Amino acid sequence: MAVLTSTPPRRKARKADDGVMTVGRSRAGSLVANISGVIFALVMFFPVYWVLITAFKPQTEWSSFTPTFIPNAPTLDNFTSAFNAPLFKQSLVNGVLVTAMAVVAALIVGFLGALAVARFRFYGRRAIIMVVLAVQLIPFISLLIPIFLMLQSWNAVGNTLVGVTLVYTVLILPYTVWMLRGFIAGIPRELDEAAMIDGCTRGQVFWRIVLPLTGPGLVATSVYGFIQAWNEFMIINTLNDPEHQNLMAWLMQNQTSRGTYWGPLMAGAIITSIPVVIFFLAVQRNIASGLTAGAVKG
Amino acid sequence: MYAVDSPATRTQSGPNGSGAERPVVRHKRRKRGGDDVVLPWLLSGPALILLALLLAYPVGRMLVLSFQKLGLKELWTGAAAPFVGLDNYVAVLSDSAFWSVVTRTVLFTAVSVVLSVLIGLGVALLMRRVNRTVRLLMIIAMMFVWALPALVQAQIFKMMTDSDVGVINYLIDKLPGVEFQNHSWFFTPIQGWIVITSCVVWAGIPFLAITLNAGLTQVPKELMEAATVDGANAWQSFKNITVPILKPLMVIVTTLSVIWNFGLFTQNWVMRDGKPEPEFQTLATYSYVQAFAQNKYGLGSAIAMITVLILLGAMAVYIRQMFKIGEVD
Repeated sequence: MAVLTSTPPRRKARKADDGVMTVGRSRAGSLVANISGVIFALVMFFPVYWVLITAFKPQTEWSSFTPTFIPNAPTLDNFTSAFNAPLFKQSLVNGVLVTAMAVVAALIVGFLGALAVARFRFYGRRAIIMVVLAVQLIPFISLLIPIFLMLQSWNAVGNTLVGVTLVYTVLILPYTVWMLRGFIAGIPRELDEAAMIDGCTRGQVFWRIVLPLTGPGLVATSVYGFIQAWNEFMIINTLNDPEHQNLMAWLMQNQTSRGTYWGPLMAGAIITSIPVVIFFLAVQRNIASGLTAGAVKG
Repeated sequence: MYAVDSPATRTQSGPNGSGAERPVVRHKRRKRGGDDVVLPWLLSGPALILLALLLAYPVGRMLVLSFQKLGLKELWTGAAAPFVGLDNYVAVLSDSAFWSVVTRTVLFTAVSVVLSVLIGLGVALLMRRVNRTVRLLMIIAMMFVWALPALVQAQIFKMMTDSDVGVINYLIDKLPGVEFQNHSWFFTPIQGWIVITSCVVWAGIPFLAITLNAGLTQVPKELMEAATVDGANAWQSFKNITVPILKPLMVIVTTLSVIWNFGLFTQNWVMRDGKPEPEFQTLATYSYVQAFAQNKYGLGSAIAMITVLILLGAMAVYIRQMFKIGEVD
């Protein structure tokens, strides 16, 4: 596993010596560094701050040629009008449904696949790993044409939530297998073997040892899958009509039709982002390590 | 239990096992040989079927499509799309518009990747130098940027550079002797691309900085201190200690950035309201527009095929690195 996948206890232990290196560092240099750090943080955060305050500004304020940096008269009007906008609620429900179904499907299917490649030595195992890795390299958007034609020809799934769910499941599946493989491989085999010696059957080992110990990994993986599926808008926008969109696609369409209504649009953007931001902050450490797994060998 | 020749499984039926258990264990052991062939394939079966259905088949279909003429007529009537040989490829490759899209995409990828990797590395190094409070501030700011959906990131930049209410124009206008009121950023392609690139770099920095910073914590402190004692200056210790240790990680994050930025779609799609002008097309939007707006699905597939091939060539390093990881574990 990657060194970067630091488990909580290790992280805490490192915190103590995580400070600034003392050898050969001047005081003035540290001051410059600290000031640059603060400026960097402010510049990075400014656009986020801007979307937040725009959402709370009344129309007179967000459409003013002279922007206010602190809202004069904060209001929740933008959020109400976003909620009441046509198709908003339906897109919200659609998005939740499609995302939830895709994540659950990918998790179940992916976990079984991960179990196979992490715990069994069998002929074809390496081929499966290669396939899982290789398909991640194909830009999904380039497959949109054949997928569009395919779902259209199967009448039952064209322009439905089921069709998009299938596509999203496959979109997040390779990463799910890859990440869960890492988590399962991290469980010492000796545990399984000890349980077998104590009389557990293979099924019991799975239920009592592998599954519970993969718990945190399952959470992290599902959250990552959630973010992927929730953020997607191009596939659903192409495959489905306005009644079958998710919030991202709704946001995109709303922008084109109402162009300059920045207040409600930013309120919609915040509503759309909240679940992603919360989930992301919860698992960000695993995302970085998952994406670069194995880059630095321990 | 899973590895057939693992020593632990061999001792299982040893003298320590109780008499009652032994027959059961032996029975299972006999079965194991068959299990280890069929069971893993059963487990990975569903995943492989899904991947085949919605990835392998579309890839094949895209390849076939790229040799066919599939337009609205064939789509509506359901008539078989006629094969046209290399016509689509000839049409694409002989079109000067295509080559300017390729040049633009490559140029954008190069500029945005170099900028974000350099800034990301700089920020990562800065994070090792600042005190804990400032580092926390930096991480919080970056986490929020990173967590925002790409669509929202793009919309924020679109709003901030809006010609009427954009805060960027307002701030630049405040500079002495600069007139930026009602300035339209997307009137000229260069300025428009500055906005798009800024958005992509801004959005890309958090992943790069935080990952590289995590890599920097792996640089042994003792090595750095020893180098300092031996009289190495900051640049020498960076070049001779930090860079070699960080290199594998740098290769990975750079290649990932190349993949992501080469496939630029959301940012220019959003900022150009879903109708990018020719000067704002990238390979991804170009293929999409040809297929879904012009209803030239065969042509769009040919462009997508060429895009994938260019990308595969550029990613050879990453592919090798990933396969190495796949082999070890």
